[in-house]
Amino acid sequence: MNKIFNLMIIFTLMTFLQSKELEIGSKIPLFAVKMDQVNGNPISLKDAMGKNGLIVIFSCNTCPWVLAWEDRYNVIYKKYKDKGFDMVAINSNQGTRNSGDSMSDMKNHAKKAKYEFPYTLDEGSKLANAFGATKTPHVYLFDSNAKLVYKGAIDDNSRNPKKVEDHYLMDALDSMIEGKKIAQVSTKAIGCTIKYVDN
Amino acid sequence: MKIFIYITYFFLISCTDSKIDLVEVNATDIKNEINKFKGNKSVLVNYWATTCSPCIDEFPMIMDLSKRYKDHLKIFFVSTDWIEDKDNALEFLVSQNVQGLSFLKNQKDNDFINQTNQNWSGALPFTIVFGKKSGNVVDFWEAKASEKRFIRGIEIGINEGELNE
Repeated sequence: MNKIFNLMIIFTLMTFLQSKELEIGSKIPLFAVKMDQVNGNPISLKDAMGKNGLIVIFSCNTCPWVLAWEDRYNVIYKKYKDKGFDMVAINSNQGTRNSGDSMSDMKNHAKKAKYEFPYTLDEGSKLANAFGATKTPHVYLFDSNAKLVYKGAIDDNSRNPKKVEDHYLMDALDSMIEGKKIAQVSTKAIGCTIKYVDN
Repeated sequence: MKIFIYITYFFLISCTDSKIDLVEVNATDIKNEINKFKGNKSVLVNYWATTCSPCIDEFPMIMDLSKRYKDHLKIFFVSTDWIEDKDNALEFLVSQNVQGLSFLKNQKDNDFINQTNQNWSGALPFTIVFGKKSGNVVDFWEAKASEKRFIRGIEIGINEGELNE
């Protein structure tokens, strides 16, 4: 009996730890939860929400795929800011807060990479868990009703922006602006695992 | 003279054995190679990259398991390094004493990941086990895992179906 009870606890924990990824059409989870950000002013996704939508990127300071892609963070942010979209990068690497992903490391990284958008610390990987996010960089695009319309990669070439053939995220944003259906609502790319506490 | 020929022969054989063949592939090429082992060995495929530290961490342990289970298990490593970093991948494989056929992804991420396994998000490392008997996927996991977790997957792959016989 005890064994069955223990197994039940393990399975419940496993379900909790391996949250299912947010489905297209879902509302932003933990919308009003405040996170510390590099400029010192706590911010929630609700606070960050633009008039027409919000781009959320799970990111970090050290992942080689983030470093390869992040030259496009500011480009996308600046291009769509005027069109009513805002952007937040979230660092959920709770497991590496002492090895490259502390708030102090984040401040240095944001300064070095000249981030112009909020870069927040997800305490205890709560948001990553609620989103079911698994990797960095991992993008989620929400519309003005805070509903998920696109998830996945920024584009199809991490290392060379000049050789990109499919601009997944920008295509999704352009489709929203033009009132068209988003052709590809979900894409995948190689990335680093999010370092949850149990990793 | 005969001895000399034998020595040359064994020297050549040993050279061939220790050679790494790092081949650029897409997801279908890998599947075709895995299928060759159906009915003979279970296959474990580990997706890694030189720039992925959890991958590097678990690599020696996987090499140990490949020796321990060599009669029943074939292990393939698939590097997802950028193509221009092929030399880095090769250098690392040599340092780990990997021999024979090894793979380097040469396909767009989105297609490669979806065609490899629908449950893979793209995060590294990623490991899949194919059953010895059926050749089907019997287990997979994303992120770095313990030796215990690997052994559990390998045992499922090797002993697949035997309980029902």
